[in-house]
Amino acid sequence: MVIVKRRELSLAEKLYLPEIGRALSLSLRAMFRKRVTRQYPEEPLPTNEVTRGQPRLVVKDDGNIACVSCGMCEVACPAYAITIDGGETDRAIEREPVRFDIDMLRCILCGFCEEACPKDAIFMSNELELADFSRQALVYDIEKLKRPRSALQKRIDYVYRLNDRWRKPSSTR
Amino acid sequence: MTKILLNGQTVEADPKKPLIAACHEHGASVPHYCYHPGLKAVGSCRICQVEVKQGEMPPRIVVACRTPVAEGMIVNTEAGKAHDARRECLEFLLKNHPLDCPICDKAGECDLQDYAFAENQGEGRTVEPRRKLEKRKSLGDVIVLDEERCILCSRCVRFMEEVPKTPQLAVVGLGSRSTIATFMDRPLKGNYQGNLADVCPVGALTLKKFRFQARVWNLRKSLSTCAECSRGCSITVEVLRGKDVKRFRPRYNDKVNKWWMCDRGRFALERHVDVATGTTAGARIAGALVRGQGAQGLEPVESELGVAIAADMLVAHEARTVIASPFLTQEEAEVLLRVARALGTTPVFVSPAGDGLADALLHTGDPCPNRRGLTELGFGAASAADCAARLAASQVALVVGERAGELLAAELAALGASQRVALFDARALDAVAVKLQVGVPTHVEKSGTWINVDGHAGRLTIARAAPAGTRALTHSLQQLDTLLAAAAAGSATTAPAGGAR
Repeated sequence: MVIVKRRELSLAEKLYLPEIGRALSLSLRAMFRKRVTRQYPEEPLPTNEVTRGQPRLVVKDDGNIACVSCGMCEVACPAYAITIDGGETDRAIEREPVRFDIDMLRCILCGFCEEACPKDAIFMSNELELADFSRQALVYDIEKLKRPRSALQKRIDYVYRLNDRWRKPSSTR
Repeated sequence: MTKILLNGQTVEADPKKPLIAACHEHGASVPHYCYHPGLKAVGSCRICQVEVKQGEMPPRIVVACRTPVAEGMIVNTEAGKAHDARRECLEFLLKNHPLDCPICDKAGECDLQDYAFAENQGEGRTVEPRRKLEKRKSLGDVIVLDEERCILCSRCVRFMEEVPKTPQLAVVGLGSRSTIATFMDRPLKGNYQGNLADVCPVGALTLKKFRFQARVWNLRKSLSTCAECSRGCSITVEVLRGKDVKRFRPRYNDKVNKWWMCDRGRFALERHVDVATGTTAGARIAGALVRGQGAQGLEPVESELGVAIAADMLVAHEARTVIASPFLTQEEAEVLLRVARALGTTPVFVSPAGDGLADALLHTGDPCPNRRGLTELGFGAASAADCAARLAASQVALVVGERAGELLAAELAALGASQRVALFDARALDAVAVKLQVGVPTHVEKSGTWINVDGHAGRLTIARAAPAGTRALTHSLQQLDTLLAAAAAGSATTAPAGGAR
C-alpha cells in the first residue's frame, strides 16, 4: 500500500480568487498566441514534395500515360494493391496498360511503386484524402489515377534529386 | 563413358555429347545461348566458355558446346579467366541489345537477363547510340520478330532445319546489320512455329497470341499433358491470377515430345478462357442443371442432387447406353466402367474424325488423348454416327466426360423429347433430350492419367479451380455407382439431396 501525501496548498491558493485571475490571464495570453489547430476539411493540410500521398500515373505532355505495364510496381507492392493487364499499342513504345487498378484501401502509401518504376510513370502525389460510400469506388482505375505531369512536377524533381545522391548521372533518363 | 575431372570431381561423361552437356548433367552451371540440347551445336555465341586442361598443355579457354569430352580432361567452369571471357562476350551481346525489358515478353525467363545478372555484367562502356532495326516484324500468324533484340544465336534457324525439317529461316545481312529473315519475307508455315518462341533465348521471337498478355513471373505453372491429340505431349499449364490459362508450353519428356509441341496444342486456349457459369448453352455448369417438366429452360441444382436424379432416370428405364468422352482419364474411366456394368451395358467412347494435321514428328491427327487407355480398359471406339444409332435405340443414355456434349452436339440435338439423356460435361448444352446435366472439371482442373498412343502415361494436375459447386467426375460417378447398387439391392430409389456423399 502506498500512502499519497496531499500537497499543502499555499495561502494564495487557499484564498481562491488570485488563482482564478491567474487562469484568466493564461486564457487571455493563449488568445493572442499563434494558432496550432486548423479547420481541417475546409482548410486542407499543408503538403510539400516530401509528402507521400496516393500514387498517381503521370500523363506525358503528348497526352499518353508514361506507363508501359511492365509490372514492376505490381511486384514491388507489399500490399498487393496494384493489378495490371498489358495490351498492345501502335505507339513506338509498343505496350501500354489496358487495366491499371490500385486498390486505395490496400495501398499503404509506402512509395515502393514509385521507386520500382523504370519509366518514371508512377509518382506519389500530395493527395491524401480518401473517402467514398463503397469499397469498389476506392479501387482506382487508369482514368482516376491520371494526373498531368505538371501536377506532379515538384515530387518528380524531388525524387530525381534524392536518387542523384547515390546514382551516377545517366543519359537514359 | 569417359572420365573427366569437373570442378575437382571425377564424373562420367557421355562421349557422344559435347562437354557442356556433361557440365549441366553434373550440376555445373555453364551459360549458353546458341547451344540447345535438342539442336546441333554451332558455337556461335561463345558464352559457354570454360577452362580446360588436357595433358601437359597449360589450361585453355574453350567453348563447352563445341568441345568433345576426352579422357582425363580437367574442366574448371568457375575459373576467373572463364568468367572474364564470358563477361566480355556478354558485353558485346548487350552492346546493341535494347533496354526493352519493361515491355519485353521474355523478361523474367530471359537467358540474357539471367546471365547478365549471374556474371555481374550490368554496365556497358559504349556511349554510341544502339543500332536501330525493325521492332515489329511479323513472321506469319504465330511469331513476331524484334530484330533489335536478336543476338543471332541461330537456334531458330537450326530448329526449323532439324526438327520439323522445313528450313524457312536464315541469318541475312552482314555485321551488325545481320537479321533473321525468311526468303522474300514470306510468312512462316507449319505446325511447329510456336517452338521458335521457346528456343529463342531472348525476346526476339515472341508469340503473337501471348504478346503482352501477362508478365511471366505472375503465371503459376502446373505440370500437365496436352489434350489436342493422342500423342499426349508433356506440357506446363500457366495460369494468371488463378483464373486465365495464358499459355501451354512443352515440358521436356524424353519418351514423348522431347522439348517440343505443336501449335495446335499450344494454342488450344480458347475453351479455357471463359469460366462464367450459367444456364445458357455454352456456359460452364456449376453443380447441375435440370430441364423442367415440359417447360423450356434449365434449372440449376446441386451436383449431388443432379447425380441422384441421374440414378433415378437410369433405373427407371430398360434400354440404356453409356457413351464416354475420349477425354476421360483412366481413373474416371474405371469408375464409369463399374457404372456401366451395373447398368448392364458395355460403354463406348466417341471417336471423332481426325483433323488431318498428322505429321511424322508429334501430331497424330487423332483428337482422342486417351484412346489407348480407354481401349485397354475395354471401351469400344464409336464414330459420331455409331453414337447417334446407340442414342436413338436407347430410352435413357449416360453421356460422360469433358467435351462429350460438344462432340455429340448434333446427335443429341436430333433426339426427340421422349428420350432421356444424362450429360456429364463441363459446358451446358441446350437440347430437348438432355434432361439433366452435371458439371465436370476440364482437363486443366482435374488430376488424372492419360495413356498416349505409344503407351506412355501422361499426368494431369490441377492448374486452376473448377467453378464453385463442381465436383470431380470420379466423385460424381462414385455416387452414381453407390446409388445404382442401392437401387439394385431393392432399397429406396430416391436418395435425398446430399445423401450419398
